Amino acid sequence: MFRHLLKLTWKRKSRNLMLSLEILLAFAIVFGVAAFGLRYVQLYRMPLGFEGGGVWTVAIDTGHHRDERIDATRYESLRRGLAELPEVAGVAFASFEPYAMSTIASDLRRSGAGGKQVHTEMTDADDALAGVLGLRLVEGRWFSQLDNGSAQRPVVINRRMAEAMFPGERAVGQQFVDGEGARINETYRVVGVIDDYRAKGELAAPVNFVFTRFEAGKGERDARTILLKVRPGTQRDFERRLNTRLKLIRNDWSYQIAPLSSTRAAMMKSRTVPLIVVGVIAGFMLLMVAFGLFGALWQNTTQRIPEIGLRRALGASAAGIYRQIVAEQFMLSSIAIVVGLMLLVQLPLTGVLGEHLNWTVFLAAAALSMAVIYLLSLLCALYPGWRASRLSPTEALHYE
Amino acid sequence: MFRNYLLTACKVFMRRKLFTAINLLCIVLTLVVLMVIASLLETAFRPSGVEGKSERFLQVFMMRMDSPDGRARSSTPPGFKLIEKYLKPMPGVERVAALTLPTSVSVYQGNNVSELQMRRADADYWKVLDFRLLAGRLPTPADDALGRMIAILNASTAQRLFPGEAKAALGQRIDVSGQVFEVVGVVEDAMHLNAYADIWAPISTFASSGYRNDLTGMFTALVLAKDAADLPRIREQVAQIAKGVVHDDPKQWKTIRFWADSKLDLFARILTNSDDGLDAGAGKLMTGIAVAMLVFMLLPALNLVNLNTGRIMERRSEIGVRKAFGATSSQLAVQLVIENVLLCLVGGLIALGATAGVLAWLEGAGLIPYLQVDLNLAVFGWGMLIATVFGLLSGVLPAWKMSRLDPVHALKGAI
Repeated sequence: MFRHLLKLTWKRKSRNLMLSLEILLAFAIVFGVAAFGLRYVQLYRMPLGFEGGGVWTVAIDTGHHRDERIDATRYESLRRGLAELPEVAGVAFASFEPYAMSTIASDLRRSGAGGKQVHTEMTDADDALAGVLGLRLVEGRWFSQLDNGSAQRPVVINRRMAEAMFPGERAVGQQFVDGEGARINETYRVVGVIDDYRAKGELAAPVNFVFTRFEAGKGERDARTILLKVRPGTQRDFERRLNTRLKLIRNDWSYQIAPLSSTRAAMMKSRTVPLIVVGVIAGFMLLMVAFGLFGALWQNTTQRIPEIGLRRALGASAAGIYRQIVAEQFMLSSIAIVVGLMLLVQLPLTGVLGEHLNWTVFLAAAALSMAVIYLLSLLCALYPGWRASRLSPTEALHYE
Repeated sequence: MFRNYLLTACKVFMRRKLFTAINLLCIVLTLVVLMVIASLLETAFRPSGVEGKSERFLQVFMMRMDSPDGRARSSTPPGFKLIEKYLKPMPGVERVAALTLPTSVSVYQGNNVSELQMRRADADYWKVLDFRLLAGRLPTPADDALGRMIAILNASTAQRLFPGEAKAALGQRIDVSGQVFEVVGVVEDAMHLNAYADIWAPISTFASSGYRNDLTGMFTALVLAKDAADLPRIREQVAQIAKGVVHDDPKQWKTIRFWADSKLDLFARILTNSDDGLDAGAGKLMTGIAVAMLVFMLLPALNLVNLNTGRIMERRSEIGVRKAFGATSSQLAVQLVIENVLLCLVGGLIALGATAGVLAWLEGAGLIPYLQVDLNLAVFGWGMLIATVFGLLSGVLPAWKMSRLDPVHALKGAI
C-alpha cells in the first residue's frame, strides 16, 4: 500500500513538489511563531528574583547640571525626607530600576592569571535595595555598614554569574577584576549570592548580574533612581504628594515618578506586541495555505476521477478511496515536515540563536507545528476525499 | 485580441466559482497585509497633514563625537547651544526650529494623575509644522523671550483634562510635574515624527536655563528651506558647519559631525546605524523593505501557483485547440499571465476596500496614538503595483508549464 502511494506521488512529482514546498514554507512559519511564543512561556515560568509589587520608582533628572555630582548629604536628605512620608516603607537608591531599558554591561574576569572573561550586566545598589526589592540571598549577605572602607568594591552576584565565574566553588569571598593585563580598573569582592535577578523582566533571557555597592558621593557615577517600597493600599494620587515632597528637597530637578507595575506593563507590551503582530500575520498565512491546499486537492481529485472510477470498478471500497486521498496528503505533508525539520535542526545544532532556541523550545515548537500542519492537511483532505469516495464507479468511468 | 483574452478570462473565472473565490481570497489576504504596510509607510514619509512641508525641511537629530585618538565615540542628540549658535544663523534657509524629543510627564489635577507626552519647542516650530489650531493661539517669539509659562494641548488631551468644548481648556492652569502652566491653545491631534506629543511648552520654560550652554542634549533642529531644490546645498552646508564646531573640552572630543537628514534618511540612519557619513543608507533601507515584501509574497505566490497549475490541466483541451490553430507558446503564456494579473487586480481592488477597514480599525483601536491614515491615490497606485507584481510572480510558472503542453496530447485530453 505504502509503495503504491509512493509511486503515485512520484508520478506527479513536479506538481507535488510545489505543494510540498508550500507546506514546507508554512511549516517553517508556524515553527518560527511557535518557537517565539514557547520561548516566552519558558522565560515567564523562570523565577524573576525580585518582588515588584508596591514598588515605586523616581528617576532624578538633574536637568542641565548633568555633570554635577550629588553629594552624600543630599542623598541623606532625600532618604530622610521620603522615609517621613506615611506611605513609604523603604527607600533605596540604584542606577536603574527593574524593567528599565538602560543597561550597563561589562566583561569581568577572575583575578590572577588565566581567568576567562565573563560578560555581565551590572548596576549600582545601596544597602537598602535588597529589602525594597525582596531579593533572596542564597549565600553570604547583602551590602551593609560592614563594607565601609573595604579595599575592594563589594559586590553581590546572582547564581548564574557565580557558576560562570567560579564553577564548582563557593563564590563568597572570591575576587574578580575589571580590565586587562596590568591595567586593572577595579577589583571586586563577592559578599553574597542571590538567587537571581532578571532586571529586564519576565520575558527577557536570564543574564549574569552583578550588584556593586553604591556609597553616596563615592564611585564613578551617582545612583539616580530612587526605589520606594510603599505600604499596601497606596493609591496613584500619592504621586502628587511625592512630587511635592521631592520638589521641596530640590526644586530645579525634575522627577519622573512611576509605579513599577506601569513600567512593567510597558515592558511587557513592548515585548509581546511583536509576537502578536507576527502571530496574526502567520494566522492569515495559514488560512491562505489552508484554502490553497483545499483547492489544489479538490482539483487533484477531479482530475483523477477516471483513475478512481477504475479502482472502484476493480473492487476498492469507498472507505479505501477515502483513506488513499487522506494518506497521500499525509505523506506529502510528512515529506515537507521531514525536510523542514532537517533544515531547522541546524539552528540549535549550530547554536546561531544561542539560548533562545534551546532543545526544549525546539522540540516543543517542532511538535506543535507538526500538529498544526497535520491537522491542517487532514482538514483540507477531508472534503475532497469524501467527494471522491462518493463517486459511483459507472459515472466515474464515463467522466470526460 | 486583448478583448478576447478578457472575455475568456471572465468565462473561465465564472465557470469555477469556488476556485475563483478561493483564489481571490488568497490574493486579498496577502494584499491587505502589504497594503496596510504600504499606507503606513506612505503616511509616515509623504508630506501630508501637519508635516505638509516635510519635502522642504531637513532635521539634525544626532551628532557624533570622536575622541582625538579615535577610540571613544559618542552619539547624542544635539544641545540647544549647537542649534542657537551654529544652525540658527545659517544663511539661505527660511527658518530653523529647535524642539525636544517628547518626554513623559505627569499632570496633576486634584487626585487625578495623567501621564502625558510633553515636548518643548520654540516659536519657529509652530511655523515649520502646520498644526491646525482649534482654539486660542500658538506661542510667539515674545513668549520665548519672556519665558511665559504657557502650554498648548492637543484636542484629545484637552478633552481628557477639561471635558467639554476645546474652548473650555483655554485659560486653565495645569500642574505638570510641579510646574504650573496656563493653557493658551488647543491644536488638532497629530501623529507625525516631529509633531507627536500631547502637550507642548516653550523651551524657555525649563526650570533652569542651563540648557543654553550645552552642546549636547536632547534637542532636534528642523531646518526649513525656501525651496525643495535647496536641500542638497543645505545638507552640504550643515556638514561644513559641523566641521567648524569646537567642543568645550577639545581634549576629550575632537571631531564633531552631524548631518541634516530628510525624514526617510532619519529612519534609515537609525535603522542601519550609519553614523559616519552624509549617506544615511536610505537606498539600503528601501531595498530591504522591497526584499522583505517579496519574501512575504513567496508563500502566497506559491499557493497561487498551485491553484493555477490545477486550473491549466482543466483547460488543456482549449490549449490544444489553440495550439493546433497556430498559437505560439509565448502567446499562450502571455494570455495566462494576463489572466492572472487581471485576477490579482480585481483582488487588489477588493483588498483596497478591506485595507480601508483595517486602517479604520487601527485608528480606532489606538494601538498607535492619533494615527490618521488616509487612503489616497498614491496608496491606490502602490496597491495596484503590488498586485501586479504579485500576479506576475505567481503567473509565470504555470504559464510556462502550460505553454510546454504538446498539442497532440492536449487535444486528446491526456497530460
